[in-house]
This record gives sequence, C-alpha cells and structure tokens, in this order.
Amino acid sequence: MAYISQYQYYENGGVVPEDTNWGSYQFISLTDIVNNFLLMYAGNHSLVNNEERYKILFHAKRAIQELNYDAFKEIKVLELTVPDNLRYIFPSDYVNWVRVSLYKDGWLRPLTENIQTLSSKAYLQDNTGRILFDQYGNALSPQYSTIDLNRLAKTKKSIYLNQGNQYNGQLGWNYDGMWYFEANIGAAYGLNTETANFNPTFNIDRKSGVINFDSSMSGLSCILEYVSDGMEQGDNSLITVNKLFEAYIYAAIEYEILSSKLGVQEYIVARSRKKRKALLSNAKIRISNIHPGRLLMNMRGMDKQIK
Amino acid sequence: MINSVRNTVLSVLNKNNYGYISPSDFNLYSQNAQVEIYEEYFSSYNKVINAENARMSGVDYADMEQPIAEVLEYFLRTDYLTKIAANKFSMPTPATTGYYTYMLLDIKCKPVTLRTGTNTSVVASQLVDSTALFTTYGISAGDIVTNITTGLVSTVTSVVSNTVLALDSNIFLASANSYGVFSSSTNVQAEKVINNKLALLVNSNLTQPTKEFPVYALQGEELTFYPTTISNKGQVQATYFRYPKVPKWTYITLTNGEPVFDQSQNDYQDFELPIEDEYKLVTRILQYCGMSIRESEVTQFSMAKEQQEQNP
Repeated sequence: MAYISQYQYYENGGVVPEDTNWGSYQFISLTDIVNNFLLMYAGNHSLVNNEERYKILFHAKRAIQELNYDAFKEIKVLELTVPDNLRYIFPSDYVNWVRVSLYKDGWLRPLTENIQTLSSKAYLQDNTGRILFDQYGNALSPQYSTIDLNRLAKTKKSIYLNQGNQYNGQLGWNYDGMWYFEANIGAAYGLNTETANFNPTFNIDRKSGVINFDSSMSGLSCILEYVSDGMEQGDNSLITVNKLFEAYIYAAIEYEILSSKLGVQEYIVARSRKKRKALLSNAKIRISNIHPGRLLMNMRGMDKQIK
Repeated sequence: MINSVRNTVLSVLNKNNYGYISPSDFNLYSQNAQVEIYEEYFSSYNKVINAENARMSGVDYADMEQPIAEVLEYFLRTDYLTKIAANKFSMPTPATTGYYTYMLLDIKCKPVTLRTGTNTSVVASQLVDSTALFTTYGISAGDIVTNITTGLVSTVTSVVSNTVLALDSNIFLASANSYGVFSSSTNVQAEKVINNKLALLVNSNLTQPTKEFPVYALQGEELTFYPTTISNKGQVQATYFRYPKVPKWTYITLTNGEPVFDQSQNDYQDFELPIEDEYKLVTRILQYCGMSIRESEVTQFSMAKEQQEQNP
C-alpha cells in the first residue's frame, strides 16, 4: 500500500468514516506481501522459481492464520446477551476461545468451563426402547434432550457452588448461634476447589458452533474473548499483518515452497526452516513489548512483607 | 535491410549459376527465416539465464542477457483486450489489436468498477452524464473510461465537475452510449491458471480469485477471467510478444522485366530483426533456396556457415 499523507491518515482525506487509516502504518497488506515476495524472492535468479502466484498466496494466508492462533496478541471481544435458550452462537470469524466472562454489576467475572455435559442430542424411542426412524432411515430426534430440557427449565443440578447446586436453598437450622444443615448420603466433606465457583458455567459445543450455558446465565450479558484466523471473512483487501512479522511471512512462504518442491537440496530446506524459526522467535519477542520499566514496577513488590 | 539481404542471397545463388528466386519466393522464405530466428531468441534467453545461474555469464560488456532482452522487448506491445462475452476476452489478434500473439507476458486487470451509465450529451473528449456524481464515486485522473457501446477506451485527465469528465481522447461521438469507469488504483496482475486447476481454485477458500488476485484461463483464443466482475473492455490490458511483421520486398517492374526494389510501395515491410541478424537471415533464406532449386551445395554451404557461427 502506498504511503499516505497525514491528512489522509487523520481524516481519511475528508471522506467518512474518518478513522479508516488510523493505525494502518503498523500493518502490511496481504497484497503487498504477495507482490513483495514475487518481486524479491521469486524469479530467474532466486531459490523460488516457476511457482504460481496462487501457491504463494496460499502459503502467505496460512502463515497469517498460524500467527493469529498464537503469536499475535489480537484477541477479539464480542458481547452478547444470553437468551432463554442459553446458547451463545460463535462469532462468524471464531476459531478458538480465550476467555468467557459474565458482565454483571460493573464487574467482569471470568467463567469456568463446566466439566460435565450440559447438552445432548437424543433419539425418539418407543416403549420398548427401540429407536424410531423416518421414511429415509434417519433416526428421529426430539427438539430437546432431557438434559437440555432440564437445563432450560432450570431444574438441572450443578456440581458447582452456584444456584444449580444441590445444596443451594437447602433448609437448615440455627442452634446456639451456629447454622446446621442436613447432610445427604454420600455428601463430600471439604471443598472441591475445582467446582468452587459461584458464577454460571458453560460448555463449548464446537460442532454445533455454540456455547451452552447453565440456566443461571439466562438474560445475562456474556463477553467472549476469542481468536480468529485473520482472514477477515475472505476479504483479501482487509487482511493485514503487523510489520514486525513481515520478514517471518516471507521466510514462511519460502520455506513452505522449498520444502515441498522436488529436487531442492536438504541443506537449502534446512536453512530456510532455521530462518523461519529464528524470525518467528524475534517477532514474538518484539511484539511482547517487554519493557524494563514495567518489570521494575512488578519487582518493587518483591520485598513487601506479607501480613 | 531487406534489399541488402535479397542482394546477398542472389549474389550467392548467381555466383555459380545456381539459379534465381522470384520476389514472391524470396518473401515467403524471408517470413519463415525471420520467425525461426525470432523464436530462437527466446530459447537463447533461457540459455543465458541458466548460464547466469551457473555463474557463467558476467556483467557490463560480458552481459549476454541484455542484448537478447532488448531484441525481444522490441516486439512487446500493450493493448486493451476485446470483450467477447460476459467475462471472456479475445487474445490479441490481427482483427482486434493488429498483431498475432507469440506469447502473453502479463495481463493487468482493473476489477473495480466506479460507475456505469449512459452519456447524456456529446462534447469532444469529454464524458457528460447529467445523472452522475463523478466526485462522489471517487473518480480521479488516470481512471479508465470505456465506451461500452463502441468498445473505445480512454483515460480520465481530470474531473471537470460531478457530471463531466475530461478524457484524453474523443470516444463519445453520440449520446445514449453505455459507458463504464474503472479504477486505475487497483491495477492488478491476473495470473494464468491451467484449465484443470480452475475449478479447484474457484472453490478454494484461501485461493479463490478476488479483485486483488484475479486469474484467467485460456481456451483457443478466448481468455476467461475470474472474478466475473471483470467483464468490460478497458478492464483488461495485455502485454504480449507479437510476431514480427511479415517482410515484403516490393518492386517496380521495368520494361526489360527485371524487378527493381521500391520501398515506397504501401505494402513494403522491412525485416524487424536487428541488423546483426542479417547474416542469419541470408543463410536461412539460402537454405530454403537450396531446397527450392534442388541445389544441395547451397543448403550445405548455408548450414555450414550457420554451424560455424554457433560453434566458433
């Protein structure tokens, strides 16, 4: 992308929206990456020769996807209200989740992933337990399984210490200033820290593309932090990479092509692999923004006495 | 150069009374000889590149690539391609661009359409559309305007007003002509893909053709472009190697019947190869002549000369 004037940068040349170019200098576009690679790393006198552009485009995008999964610190955040069906549909560019939180009373409360199943598929059965099929031989399913119905009806019990817990609301009595409760048979003694969380819980259903919540989340605001693959819904004009990773992308494309090409000597492949790895490490360190000043702030607390 | 070549050829043939070739035969042999030598330039270029990669070619006066490249670049042309159907365009042909294509080197596309409409009045070297808002569409100098009705193409020199564009040529000779304006800022290279890869490419999430990375496939003389928004003349520009023009030694016939060279004839055409190829042309034409007059000595002589040149 060509360099732009400061007027273009700050006010988009007077065209609405004015914020189009803000921060754009940090990034290099996919088009530039492919063009630069073809110009500088491919040709008659280069290691990469006689390769179609679409292969270079493919490897460039794959490299960007890989960077988005772990190297970039570009976490996307989406807030949605969880409806009565207790489902939160993944964002359209969702690849993996980082954190799911409940936003309530001005507090952001990170939620715990429920280790138990919250949702299930079911088949219709007759009174002898045989599965019922339609005319095409497919098993018939009800709209909701029993476990789903219970969850939606807020009758499903939870092992977590929230409203769904079996002891929640249980009657007790006060004797001599102390509260006593009936202990159920088989009750656990002591606190299970794994489930000791008051907040609602959730399950990720990747195939269905939804997050299933327990019944206490109904009507509440959920904030999902997630990572995407940087493909911007397939719009190539929007795909960008931070300039700190530019050299890595070229190295990654070069390595992928050389390593899959017939007749390339192994030492050349090994050299390109090392180059790619080194550049990735460098870029990760750079983007970590480890500032001595910030470390110092943390270190100042190390001599603090614990009271 | 053509007269000099012909004189040399006749001189060699006459030396031992081998025979005589007519101007029409000479022209036929000339055309073949020129095309042969022209095609050899491409293989020579490849050999030089390989030699460079093997560190067997130098720079400065030892640069073997540059002279060959310069000869080839003489035959490079850039023309807008003619639309055949929706997203299909014709290869450069004598009927569309005036030349036969030897090889397509580069195809540039302008896939972004800024405006389509019809002109409402006629002003020389201007596009006038009273219903348009040219400034709002983001049209600027350098953008391409095509008269879709006639197929003529022009370039915007300035935006006169919201309804008037100044053009670098007069392409609107009547009103109610359809036109398209295409952004020159997205002038991107289209990649040629082989036909059996096309469906795979179009169906691929990561590599499907887009306005940033368009592709085309070639069938016969027809180029099919993807994305299919590339569909108007003015959107596709080809840079290609054309074949050399057909050489023609023209003459006037005097009363004694001897043809005399006359380059003022309308159909006169000299060789287009550089002057250093004159001896090659002579030897090639002599080879054809030797076969024509059944004189194996002529053919052998010319082939020996050629071999001597290749292996000094």
